[in-house]
Amino acid sequence: MMLEITNIHKSFGENEILKGVDLKIEKGDVVVILGPSGSGKTTLLRCINFLEKADQGHAIFGDIDVNLKTASKKAIHGIRQKIAFVFQNYNLFNNKTALENVTEGLVIGRKIAKAEANEIGKKALDKVGLSEKYNAYPIELSGGQQQRVGIARAVALNPDIILFDEPTSALDPELVGEVLTVMKQIAKEGTTMLVVTHEMSFAKDVANRVIFMDAGVVVEEGSPKDIFVKPKEERTRKFLKRVLPEDYIFYI
Amino acid sequence: MEKYFDVSYIVESVPMLIPFLKVTLMVAGLSVLFGTILGFILAAMKIGNSKIAKKIAYGYTTILRCTPSIVLLFLTYYGIPAIADNFGVNLNDIDKAVFVVITFSLQFAAVMSEVIRTSYESIDRGQFEAAVCVGLSNTQAYWRIILPQAFVVALPNFGNSLLELMKEGALAYTIGLIDIMGKAELIIAGNYNTHALEIYLALAVIYWILSIAIEQLFLKLEKVFSKGKQVITTT
Repeated sequence: MMLEITNIHKSFGENEILKGVDLKIEKGDVVVILGPSGSGKTTLLRCINFLEKADQGHAIFGDIDVNLKTASKKAIHGIRQKIAFVFQNYNLFNNKTALENVTEGLVIGRKIAKAEANEIGKKALDKVGLSEKYNAYPIELSGGQQQRVGIARAVALNPDIILFDEPTSALDPELVGEVLTVMKQIAKEGTTMLVVTHEMSFAKDVANRVIFMDAGVVVEEGSPKDIFVKPKEERTRKFLKRVLPEDYIFYI
Repeated sequence: MEKYFDVSYIVESVPMLIPFLKVTLMVAGLSVLFGTILGFILAAMKIGNSKIAKKIAYGYTTILRCTPSIVLLFLTYYGIPAIADNFGVNLNDIDKAVFVVITFSLQFAAVMSEVIRTSYESIDRGQFEAAVCVGLSNTQAYWRIILPQAFVVALPNFGNSLLELMKEGALAYTIGLIDIMGKAELIIAGNYNTHALEIYLALAVIYWILSIAIEQLFLKLEKVFSKGKQVITTT
């Protein structure tokens, strides 16, 4: 087991967002989390990476075993070294070029020599199809290109897992494709991925496991076929009916 | 009969005023230095989590911004020695420039705390999150990602406040500081209060040149530091 999270709880004020979620991820898994807005998908992802502090919960991550609420700075740093994160709003460093965005974490975070980091960074940008844009600043890039830099920044760190928080939700529809293509490609290479998305096609074609969340709990999980073709829970059925065309079953 | 307006007074008074420019610049420079440091502390208090610190910092800013410079100057000039006197310390022989620097440092700090706070808050917090996610420490994320961008946002307002401070600094002559303003007053008094217009014109010209120089400097600085902020045309 590469990552195991148990009984994670998180509230914002009176509002309980996560009500005891368990999650297990094996090496090489591509897990997609589906669910309506406000179901706690993003919060779950953010708690795993300590961008939000969970109120309760436990994580076993390789050799690190921590309480999500009381984790020490050192444990947080250790876990973050194993995880990369791709944000909905890209969150590129606006004062740095595409290449610097990718190498920043390598040079400063991982203490890799600059020349070597540049090599790794260029390779990562080549992989996402941005060989021409090494020296472009984020403002000079389209949304799709910015998100691809975001993915390159994550891939370059060679993490154990990459978390994707709605990576295509902020993009113009015609730019979604280029980002999904890159994500499919790195999934094929065996990258372990945990993806929150509304892109059903990605869930169907790429995921080996789909988790359906609603109102702060995991309603059901299974293979894409299990979830899309024969969902057991009424809530899942309702959700799929809403987000997929009537004849969605023929897409499978 | 002597002319009412005589250009030669302007030409003659400029070289007499110039040596006192260094007093003006020194007072302004020190006020900016101390004011910026105090401004940073106040901004940190406003941004931080402590409610008491926040209240103090905002209260300070409100009071200082609502006090006219000249009133604040008299308050420090008469107030500080009075307080010191209570503790048996005699501050009567202290250089007047000290009170001017204290006054304008306090005032500049209030302005700068807002400049620093707003420019810090203008940088999207997401970049900080991204930085810690790729393995930077909180401090590294601030120094390498957030502050360089906040600095560029702050520059125009900082330059503006600095110009304001330099001009307000002219009030220091009221407590008897001899900067270029004080010197101009002395020259006019020496002329039995005639030809004041020419002397003030000379003074204005010096302030104009100084202000334009500062303005240009900040425009240059903004250009140098704003990489990634403007679209750079690539060939």
